[in-house]
Amino acid sequence: MSEFHNRSESSARRSDYVWQYEYYDDEEPVSFEGLKAHRYSIVIGFWVGLAVFVIFMFFVLTLLTKTGAPHQENPDSAEKRHRPGSRVADGPQDEHDKVFSRPLLAGSHSYFHFFVNEEDLGHGTHAAEDQRAGQDAGPQRGARGRLRCVGSPGMEDMEEDVEESGGHQPLRELAEGSTTDTECAFLSHFNIPNFVNWEHSSVLGEDDLYEPSVVLEAQAHSRKAHCDIH
Amino acid sequence: MNATSANQTGCPELKVPAPLFLGIGVASLAENLLVVLAVIWNRNLHSPMYAFICSLAAFNTIASLTKTWETLMILFADVGRLQKGGAHETRLDDVVDALMCMSFVGSFFSFLAIAVDRYITIFYALRYHNIMTAWRTRLVLGAIWTTCGVCAVLMVRFFDSNFIMICFIALFVVSLAMICFFYVYMFMLARIHARRIAALPSHGGGRCGRRRWRRRSARGALTLTLLFGAFVVCWAPFFLHLIIIMACPTNPYCECYRSLFQLHVALLMSHALVDPAIYAFRSAELRHTFRKMLLCSDCG
Repeated sequence: MSEFHNRSESSARRSDYVWQYEYYDDEEPVSFEGLKAHRYSIVIGFWVGLAVFVIFMFFVLTLLTKTGAPHQENPDSAEKRHRPGSRVADGPQDEHDKVFSRPLLAGSHSYFHFFVNEEDLGHGTHAAEDQRAGQDAGPQRGARGRLRCVGSPGMEDMEEDVEESGGHQPLRELAEGSTTDTECAFLSHFNIPNFVNWEHSSVLGEDDLYEPSVVLEAQAHSRKAHCDIH
Repeated sequence: MNATSANQTGCPELKVPAPLFLGIGVASLAENLLVVLAVIWNRNLHSPMYAFICSLAAFNTIASLTKTWETLMILFADVGRLQKGGAHETRLDDVVDALMCMSFVGSFFSFLAIAVDRYITIFYALRYHNIMTAWRTRLVLGAIWTTCGVCAVLMVRFFDSNFIMICFIALFVVSLAMICFFYVYMFMLARIHARRIAALPSHGGGRCGRRRWRRRSARGALTLTLLFGAFVVCWAPFFLHLIIIMACPTNPYCECYRSLFQLHVALLMSHALVDPAIYAFRSAELRHTFRKMLLCSDCG
């Protein structure tokens, strides 16, 4: 009988933590006399701190988007466009050096240089051929065949983007040769497959009745219409 | 006498009405079950990313199911149909607790797996299919489910000891930090490259491109804030409750915080409700599958 009592007592104690209705079985009386601050001060302080944290995080992320004007980059890219044939080999490195000149990205330097080496070794000949084909000379087509520019979605729907890229077998679609325009090539030149085609990501978000291949083709066509490259 | 009256005029326990618990539980159960079924049914969604999302939805399903079950048990106990201290009920309660612990821990691991998968997709994109093979995905999922099962059993058996609770809290903090790191790093790098692309002169004008880039970046910031905000707002109160149980059981301020226990559990359940909206429903393919499943049931 005593062990039954012990068992029920320990189980009752354990259930105190879980069964909320049993939690306040008067085990230890808490005295509320002589409180200096408000009773709910921990509650209020916790929720205020949480709200401040979330708002702070939002402002930090938004400020990150506002710092650094893109027009600073314009002279460099304009200069590159005027030098058509001379930058087959060292174009990617220069681009990447500019992109990664910020100390923030020192860690990612190694990843992208690895990609650059992969790309250049594999597609140096492709770049030369494409340049001769009379495309716009600024964009490098070194990485054209290896990256998914077309189905790559935008920055504001990061999750959707990454899902699209992960879920639709990118390499197989690339083999079908849907990436032929120069903007696509220029963007792929940066070896960032997923954050390239953000301009038309709204198509991906709203027209969800399309099958993936249809969406890809629609994006390619709309991009050609919007951006006057040739 | 004075102490008990003061105790009663202290912080009264905030009672969340049972229909609200049941409503949240049933809604999140329906949503997450829909996600699981959609991922299993559509062959296009048999990829590592959707596998992790499906695993998260499965854990949320278990969580909402067990929480709804527990609410019903408490309702029956209040009415008098169930005996609160009986051996059978206690064992049932243990099973329910173990499943809830398993689903909580599983949610953390699933969040981590989704963040790592997205990280690999972005930074190792060319080798993604070599790194994240189907076999490895199955291995990771099996490891997650086994670990959660073991953790759940251990937590429920040894819940009295503070060490287990400290482990649970440490797991939460580590998960939060890692998820924060992964997503903010991805966001920063994406911002750099999107800005670079917006600076292209061939991209339809500098000013227009810049404005567009800023708008997209701002929306990315909003998405990330929503992701973290929901995670932190829903999980942190419950974990602070666990810390307070261990740290200050007799402090009146802590007592007032503990009186909001039901509200914190309701927040925990609502996270299972919000999760599909944050992770699963953002995929166009998944939404398309839902429409096919719900509106066109004979489309096979």
